[in-house]
Amino acid sequence: MNEFSEVSLWNPRKIRSPYKSIGFCGLSKLIGLRHVSDPPTVLSELVVSSSGNKAGVVVQLQARHEAEAQMTNQVSPVEEQEKLLDEALNVVKVQSAMWFERSSSTRVERGMLRCFGQLERMNESRLTKQIYRANVCDGKVGKGCSGKSYADHVDYILKKGQILSIRSQRACMKRMMDVNKAFQMNRCLDKSKLMDALKHASTMLGELRTSLLSPKSYYELYMAITDELRHLELYLLEEFQKGRKVADLYELVQYAGNIVPRLYLLITVGLVYIKTNTSLRRDLLKDLVEMCRGVQHPLRGLFLRNYLLQCTRNVLPDVAEAENENEGTVRDAIDFVLMNFAEMNKLWVRMQHQGHSRDKERRERERSELRILVGTNLVRLSQLESVTVEDYKRLVLPGILEQVVSCRDAIAQEYLMECIIQVFPDEFHLANLQPFLKSCAELQPGVNIKNIIIALIERLATYSQRNEGNINLSVVLEDGQEQEVQLFEVFSDQVASITQSRTDMAPEDMLSLQVALLKLAQRCHPDKLNYVDRVLAHTDKICQEIHQNSGKTHLEHNTAVFKELMRLLKLPADHYKDILTLTRLHHYAPLINHLNHPGRTMIALHLVTDVLESGTLISTPEDVEAVLTMLEVLVKDQPDQHTADDDDFMEEQGLLARLIHHFKSDSADQQYLILSAAKKALQNGGARRIQHTFPPILFHAYRLAFTYKDLKDQDEMWEKKCQKIFQFCHQTISMLVKAELAELPLRLYIQGALAIGEVQFANYETIAYEFLSQAFSLYEDEISDSKAQLAAITLIIGTFEQMNCFGAENAEPMRTQCALAASKLLKKPDQCRAVALCAHLFWKAPRDGKQLTKQFTCRLCATAVFLLLGRIGRWSGREIARSALSLARSAQAERDNESCFFWPLNDGARAQECLRKGARVAQQCMDGGVRAQLLVELLGRYAYFRERGNAQITVQQLDAIIQKTREELANLDQSEEVDQITKHFHNTLQHLKNRMECPDPDGLGYEGLVLA
Amino acid sequence: MSFFGFGQNADIEIVFDDADKRKVAEVKTDEGKKEKLLLYYDGETVSGRVNVTLRKPGSKLEHQGIKVELIGQIELFYDRGNHHEFISLVKELARPGDLLQHTSYPFEFANVEKPYEVYTGSNVRLRYFLRATIVRRLSDIVKEVDIAVHTLCSYPEVLNSIKMEVGIEDCLHIEFEYNKSKYHLKDVIVGKIYFLLVRIKIKHMEISIIKRETTGSGPNTFTENETVAKYEIMDGAPVRGESIPIRVFLAGYDLTPTMRDINNKFSVRYYLNLVLMDTEDRRYFKQQEVTLWRKSDKSRLPLHNPHNMQHLPSTIMPRQLSISSEENSVRTMSPNQDSGPQRSVSPFIPGNDGDKCNGPTTKPIEEDIEEQGKNASDITEKVSKVQINDKPLVAENTIIVEKPPIAEKPILNRPEGDETTQ
Repeated sequence: MNEFSEVSLWNPRKIRSPYKSIGFCGLSKLIGLRHVSDPPTVLSELVVSSSGNKAGVVVQLQARHEAEAQMTNQVSPVEEQEKLLDEALNVVKVQSAMWFERSSSTRVERGMLRCFGQLERMNESRLTKQIYRANVCDGKVGKGCSGKSYADHVDYILKKGQILSIRSQRACMKRMMDVNKAFQMNRCLDKSKLMDALKHASTMLGELRTSLLSPKSYYELYMAITDELRHLELYLLEEFQKGRKVADLYELVQYAGNIVPRLYLLITVGLVYIKTNTSLRRDLLKDLVEMCRGVQHPLRGLFLRNYLLQCTRNVLPDVAEAENENEGTVRDAIDFVLMNFAEMNKLWVRMQHQGHSRDKERRERERSELRILVGTNLVRLSQLESVTVEDYKRLVLPGILEQVVSCRDAIAQEYLMECIIQVFPDEFHLANLQPFLKSCAELQPGVNIKNIIIALIERLATYSQRNEGNINLSVVLEDGQEQEVQLFEVFSDQVASITQSRTDMAPEDMLSLQVALLKLAQRCHPDKLNYVDRVLAHTDKICQEIHQNSGKTHLEHNTAVFKELMRLLKLPADHYKDILTLTRLHHYAPLINHLNHPGRTMIALHLVTDVLESGTLISTPEDVEAVLTMLEVLVKDQPDQHTADDDDFMEEQGLLARLIHHFKSDSADQQYLILSAAKKALQNGGARRIQHTFPPILFHAYRLAFTYKDLKDQDEMWEKKCQKIFQFCHQTISMLVKAELAELPLRLYIQGALAIGEVQFANYETIAYEFLSQAFSLYEDEISDSKAQLAAITLIIGTFEQMNCFGAENAEPMRTQCALAASKLLKKPDQCRAVALCAHLFWKAPRDGKQLTKQFTCRLCATAVFLLLGRIGRWSGREIARSALSLARSAQAERDNESCFFWPLNDGARAQECLRKGARVAQQCMDGGVRAQLLVELLGRYAYFRERGNAQITVQQLDAIIQKTREELANLDQSEEVDQITKHFHNTLQHLKNRMECPDPDGLGYEGLVLA
Repeated sequence: MSFFGFGQNADIEIVFDDADKRKVAEVKTDEGKKEKLLLYYDGETVSGRVNVTLRKPGSKLEHQGIKVELIGQIELFYDRGNHHEFISLVKELARPGDLLQHTSYPFEFANVEKPYEVYTGSNVRLRYFLRATIVRRLSDIVKEVDIAVHTLCSYPEVLNSIKMEVGIEDCLHIEFEYNKSKYHLKDVIVGKIYFLLVRIKIKHMEISIIKRETTGSGPNTFTENETVAKYEIMDGAPVRGESIPIRVFLAGYDLTPTMRDINNKFSVRYYLNLVLMDTEDRRYFKQQEVTLWRKSDKSRLPLHNPHNMQHLPSTIMPRQLSISSEENSVRTMSPNQDSGPQRSVSPFIPGNDGDKCNGPTTKPIEEDIEEQGKNASDITEKVSKVQINDKPLVAENTIIVEKPPIAEKPILNRPEGDETTQ
């Protein structure tokens, strides 16, 4: 075959004849294979083999015609066909390079198109590619004559396709948008052949008559064509300005037989007329908009009218009074745009009702793509500068609203209402709130009316804020009188009537409306709390209705209604940042109760966090009650409560506990009332809650006692009041005890005792004793865990050591009991340590009290922090620690004032006894390490007591301990632990050595002690 | 000009007075070409000179007399031999004698009555021409020169409009209005279509101007329809309540004045055909005759008072669509007597102009429509009393107002075949 490729490429006739035979071969080959299962494959092979050879196309050409019949009948894989077509296309390209005579080239095309048609039937989306390719071919092969038939065929395919994919449409559009036409038009313009140019323009515009395109593609086409029209317009304008009279042009273009091109041309020419002769303006505008009625096809009509709007945007009369009547005033402009708007809207709405119902979704999508065209009318109206409020009220708004309401189409109504809100100035809205809102109530059931109203409210709220609320709003009452009203009032009334009249409205939408109203009230009328309350009351009513309808008592979690209500509740909270304001809103707390349990919890936590963050103090008992009522969900068990997660629960209660610290008043009496109120409210919370909520109350109470002590000069009754406070504390703690808690009340008793010891009011010793003994009995009865026991006894001992209020009568049983309890501890090391500690009960250092106190204070704080941290939520721990700290500090200050201090109940012998017992117990321990440790600790205590002047402690005893320790240490293997013990030991020895070198003048020395 | 081998030895030339100033008009000739001819109006004097030029100056031309004739004639194409002359004026220019030199004879046909306008149609031709003849013994030397004649009319400015409600029951009811029933040739048809009921899917609507040329009489009547213009006035499907404006400029089309019974030989009438096409390509149409007339050019409207702004005042108000009470009034418009659209298939039922209503007769026709409706169906006219104002707007309609409605068979037009004749 190759030899033939050389045969004059430029003479197709010559090629054809020698190849007829080959073509025939190919054909017969095909025919022979016709019954083979897969003819397309064979065909494609043939095509491939022939396509390598340029001259082979003819063969291929003829083979195709046979093959087509096959392809139609065979359901063959799409890929196969695609491949086939690819090859065919190659062939055509090659062929075009060869400049085949026209008849053959068109034959190829026709064949190909038929193939495309078949392919399309199978797989519509692939059409695109093919058409694109066809375009390529067309540029080369078509050369004018076949171009049209080509386009026709593509049209045909598309029509057949019915379901038109966007891509293929676009391809088709490109095909139809023959650049040549525009080109021709421009060329004629260049040559000043106006008539011809108009004719070409008309042909070009004829493309806009198509019904095959989707809105998007049509838009592209429209854009391309109107671009070209712009040239025409400029040209005409230039000609006119040069003084050339193109007489009757306006009439002339109306001879176009088809209405769509005619009107486009009419608009273009009309615009030129208006620009050159403004005295025709009014009539021309009226005429144009009237004539556009002729296009009733929605898509084409919309675009046509959009073109009209585009063209006239700069020539609309925009003056209140015209010098020349014919130039028109802004009234005419309004009429013009309104008319255009009305018609466009009708067309747009009509789209919805045309076509099959199964395409509804697609139609709605298309409509939303087109909505901007309709909205442009409103934009244009808003751009007319000489429209006054009065005009707007009388002409513009009623015109628009009438259309919007009467079109009865949800999509249109929703969009247009929003458009109105967005495009017109705030002042206009303010002046026309009532009519606007009234029409809102008349909209279709499907319209999402809340979005509209919310948009309006937000817009006006912003405006009002910008003007600092200085907006004058007058409303015409029914009797025709104008009255100044508040923005909120208008909205409130209208929203109420809307929610009433629109029974189909989703409850969540009603709530969102209320949210918007609430925002409005807050932003525009920050001073009017009753507005907010009104909204809340209304919301309350709505919620009740919701309950009635649903038959449930609470809103379910995470429903839309729930979320809206949540938003609504959070709004004032976030706005005021002040829970006290919220308590003044009468309908706030009841509203919370519409939520289900998790919801209420969320709101409560939100409120609490707000208080904590803002540091608001709640300073009257009434407020406390109100706040706690509002937070009821945290305070009390709820009927609809489910077993909640423990961690979450602790966290909630922790927050509540923190809140309690904000119950604070400057007046002490008031504070007492606050605390009682709080307690009263909180005591119903059950054991799980009071263990979190009572400690802060108690610490508050203790602090209050100190306050009274500070006030004792001013308040004669302070002692009585203190007594009352501690009674209150006692009651409170005993409630905790009743709730079967042990460690917490124990510590609180101890803390109480400490406080009592410090405050020193009348009869305080008895009360302190009571507290301490209560603590002790708790220790005995309730605490069984050995570690807890040790900790408790340590605390009790520490407290006792710290307190100086007890006389012998009360001290003795306490000391003895402690010692007894210490020796009854289960584990030997614990016993040893506890017993050694008991030594402190019997010997308090007479001097150096300052140091002692400091030491103790620190320990107290540490204990407070340490112990309470674990029990109470992370955050409340801090608070408690703080109060403990302050308590300790005040105690320390007290102590500092007493210059001389000596405890009459010192009993050196019993102290020594305790230590010895400790040493004995230590010996009984099995583990060498523990033994050594205990001994080192004991050594410390021995040294301490000796330095504090207990003469019962002798150097010999010290020496013995040292020796024993040494022995123990020697028996131990090296380990980290042992190293520490050794170090501790050596440090102690070092201390002793230092003391020996420079003895304390007051204390007992260490004479005779041998430190090897 | 020497058609004959022996002997034409003189040329005749007819020169008209003020030929350079006189207006010319384009007239179609037999062959369909256009020719520019001098234009005369009714009653104008046709004057000029006949110049006889001798081929061989000096030689003698013997003749039996020289005359010039002004002839108006109608030629029917199917009857080529017979020309009907309705004007034939003769002026003798010279007595029989000899011509020795170039001679120029003035002639004048003073205030000639030219009752008809020149016309060239598909079956008939009406022409005026001057014929100068040198009568000779063997063969006359003849020269014919055509002139164009336009007849001018002046109709009163107050013109009646055409307003009509038509429809197909439960399917389509429209009301249309053309601002006049008589238009001059440069006029604009302004009108409005109001859709009262639309239950079909309309694709587009157009107005076509149909020229109906009727020649002959009696059994030898030939009717030729030609669509002169097609003008799309609406695209897409309207809904009820829409009103669509109509504005058609006539100046751009090749129109002649309406001619009725010209010399009992032929008529040319024009119809406005309102065609609605539905998505299944069915055509619904309503033909309405309009009278075209020629207006003298002087009175043409200047450009800056453009007639192109004309609209119908929206006299057609939206009206209730339930017309059950008017069911019985479904009838055709009575064919008006003076403009007399001779619709071929609408026989006037005589003696039926009493009080009988024709409700029943409507129905079968409409069933017919459904059967035949594949291609086309006419819209049954509907004239309601409401439509006609107290003072008769439409002159032709007066009958209905004053008398009980004439019961008549509704018209069913044939499927349009006129496209092909174009």
